[in-house]
Amino acid sequence: MSAAVLPAPAVALASLSARELAHRYSPRRGLEPVSFEIEAPGVAAVTGPNGSGKSTLLRIVAGLLRPNRGACALRIGGREIERGARRLSVGLATPELSFYDEFTVGENLMFAAQTQGLADPRGRVRESLERVGLWVRVGDRADALSSGMRQRLRLAFALLHRPPVLLLDEPGSHLDEAGRLMVARVVREQGERGLVLIATNDERERTLAGRTIELRGRGLGDPD
Amino acid sequence: MILRILLFLWLAAGMVAGFTWAPVVPVLGNTTRVFYFHFPAAIVTTIAFGWSMVHSALYLARRDLGHDDHAAGAAELGLLFCIVATISGSLWARAMWGAYWNWDPRETSIFFLFLIYAAYLALRAAIDGTERRARLAAIYSCVAFVAVPFLIFVVPRIYFSLHPDPLLGQRGKPDIDPRIMLVATWMLAGVTALFVWLLSLRVRLGRIERARQEF
Amino acid sequence: MPGERSSSVGAVWAILIKECRGEWRTRYGLNSALLFAVTTLTAVSFVVGRIGERTDILAALLWIVLMFAALASLAHTFVREVEGHTLTLLRMIASPTSIALGKLIFNLLFLGVLEAVTVPLFLVLMGGPPLHWARFLEVLGLGSLALAAAATLVGAVIAQTRGRGALFAAVSLPILLPVMAGAVSGTRGQWNGVPVDAELRLLAAYAAALLGMSLVLYDHLWED
Repeated sequence: MSAAVLPAPAVALASLSARELAHRYSPRRGLEPVSFEIEAPGVAAVTGPNGSGKSTLLRIVAGLLRPNRGACALRIGGREIERGARRLSVGLATPELSFYDEFTVGENLMFAAQTQGLADPRGRVRESLERVGLWVRVGDRADALSSGMRQRLRLAFALLHRPPVLLLDEPGSHLDEAGRLMVARVVREQGERGLVLIATNDERERTLAGRTIELRGRGLGDPD
Repeated sequence: MILRILLFLWLAAGMVAGFTWAPVVPVLGNTTRVFYFHFPAAIVTTIAFGWSMVHSALYLARRDLGHDDHAAGAAELGLLFCIVATISGSLWARAMWGAYWNWDPRETSIFFLFLIYAAYLALRAAIDGTERRARLAAIYSCVAFVAVPFLIFVVPRIYFSLHPDPLLGQRGKPDIDPRIMLVATWMLAGVTALFVWLLSLRVRLGRIERARQEF
Repeated sequence: MPGERSSSVGAVWAILIKECRGEWRTRYGLNSALLFAVTTLTAVSFVVGRIGERTDILAALLWIVLMFAALASLAHTFVREVEGHTLTLLRMIASPTSIALGKLIFNLLFLGVLEAVTVPLFLVLMGGPPLHWARFLEVLGLGSLALAAAATLVGAVIAQTRGRGALFAAVSLPILLPVMAGAVSGTRGQWNGVPVDAELRLLAAYAAALLGMSLVLYDHLWED
């Protein structure tokens, strides 16, 4: 079932480049300057100690956060995507992502699919829920999910619009063995055509990646 | 340093001249002298709030935190001058109209401005994060920019149409003694310079604080 | 893949439907607003008694009750997204303008329901001369539009502050004073049988100005 669900025209190759990209929330919090250049197809791991700005980097790439300094450019098929339009090309699964408790799993994703204006929203919801193995819970309310299932739902949300770029923040957290295998499969499939960024310090998830972006942090108060 | 002393002397000279050299307007008597404080303060209040709005819009367009320093500093100082203008005006109103507060259109508009900028500063105080504070405060300032002309020009015309016309415009008669006008203009120049100086201090302070946080 | 970044009718509609369904399932905002309006109204009418001829006081009381009932709940649409951490989801599927417009229309409907309960109750409890319906509804409609426009923008800002809802009334009120002035004067005018064209023009112009400015500002609402 894998090949059919990936972005069909693989010509739109994604590339991501950062030049002296940094963001400060406050003196000790944020992302220290980082530069990199990655191109699809491929999987990159973003690693670094706690507080080094892994999640911040993903939020910047997703267009949610305007960085203080430096630049981060996302190109699809050679065309630069501006910040406000990135959500159309990027799928983001982060622990900060929550769903509406008063809605079911299916309603949450249907809402997302309809708001994004996807063709055949119902089919897309089913497709992405099946990919993460959550289709059996489609009728459950979001607040009835365990943390592991929530994690799967986040992944399904990120995959919903078949984005060329997938950003995963600690994708394996709360997941059981079957869940981790599912994440590995999704990452491998996406990495064959598109671009995947995984923010993680987990050894097994790191091995999924072809390259590593190492963030230096000073979040935990090292001397400078 | 020299400029500061000069400014001090300039203002002092203006005040002394206001009390000794310039004559009083017959009807107003000694309350004429309130004018030398009230008029510059009111004008500078308007300049300061306008300055704050312009820099708020500039911040949203350019994202340079220097603009935010200007916007915040001008709002703080504007509020200060607004208080001076309100109190001096209110004292004069007590002497001339018999009550400190009469809800005449001018008093009303300055009160609205006061409310808006007090809210602006309260909003700033409640936001964490430099960029977020600058951005959200600038948004509020732009909304206020829509409200201000309505509050000052449109609302009083409609809302106070039932009220008797208050004793307004006694001040602005054309046949005012030129010496009074000279002192008033002199004071306006001095107070405006005072505002510019204080604002530049505030902007510099903001820049230094940010630079210090970098390391 | 749609390349636009501002707003699309489909997205606004989907968000509006989601708001309505969420409100219907929880009834959190509407219940508290209605309860607030009814309580205030009862208190006012109990304390003041029937003042049928004093149209100036009646108009002021009506709008004070309406405005504060609205202010007690209109920021809620955004505060709930922030507190439930669902804003990330929303921002990943829709442009800021679509989000804000969806919420604006919802707020307008919300006000409509609130007024449909409060106004008749007010007339029953407080008395007053017979309404000049056409004029009254015009004043009410335009006043609500301006109120919703201001409350939506300020609500989105206030939801990102430390105290969340706490500052909402204080910060909105200066912006709402022109609405208050026009609406009270218009309501009094229709009771007294005088033309209210000037008030209607004021309300319409102010609502238009607020909406125009809102459309410029929505893009800057969320950046971190």
